Amino acid sequence: MLILTIFLTSCSGVKQLEIFKEEVPRAKLNLEKPTPLELENLRWIIITSANAEEVFKKLEEQGIDPVLWGLTDKDFELLAKNFARIRNQLKITNDLLDKYKEYYEVEDGETR
Amino acid sequence: MRLFLIGIIITSLLGAGAYVIKLQRDNGILKANAIKLESAVADQKQLIENQKKEFEEILTANKKMNELVSVLKKDLEDLDKRFNKKNRDVGKLAIQRTESIERITNGASVLATRCIEIASGSPLTEKELNATKKSEINSECPSIANPNYIPY
Repeated sequence: MLILTIFLTSCSGVKQLEIFKEEVPRAKLNLEKPTPLELENLRWIIITSANAEEVFKKLEEQGIDPVLWGLTDKDFELLAKNFARIRNQLKITNDLLDKYKEYYEVEDGETR
Repeated sequence: MRLFLIGIIITSLLGAGAYVIKLQRDNGILKANAIKLESAVADQKQLIENQKKEFEEILTANKKMNELVSVLKKDLEDLDKRFNKKNRDVGKLAIQRTESIERITNGASVLATRCIEIASGSPLTEKELNATKKSEINSECPSIANPNYIPY
């Protein structure tokens, strides 16, 4: 009877609840941001049919080869706009990178 | 017969005792489970709070990026206006006032070069940060070069 009682009471016990929590942080990428550009300023020379001779003469006097790469006024406008578009894209990409870093790299250096 | 009855009583008492001990043990486990569940609920609440915070951060980041795209678009429109304002023909102007247009072009080229540097992550100078007047700003890209300038 005793053995039977012990046997039966041990069968229907309440199980202890186990909660497992193990968070494994992702390895950090830690890529350095690209170094900002440091560009050289360039010099534009405007040549018209009226000043062409004078321009080339000045170049020779300054020891510069009397040769110029030319753009029409329309192409100059396109070049300026193209550069502005590249600049905008660069800014957006750079800011996007900053936002990702801000979001995924919290202040204490941990990653989300 | 008497011994048999005593045996039954003793067995029953021992059985009851063992059952009470089991109940006490189960009660202890249930209490521990309740504490763990409360802790799990608290963790879940914290998780939901964190998710809300992250969602707000995502919204803010998206808003800022959209604002940036808008101001950059405006810079591009302003550049277009500078070339074509009131049917302006830069080519004809350059023929009429060659030296003046050359000087303006070179000045704008220096500013545009600086704009690329800023866009690539170069920090703003004190002068750029403090510019609030039209005469002080980088007219090629005021939206990124002069954050304190309000167009007037």
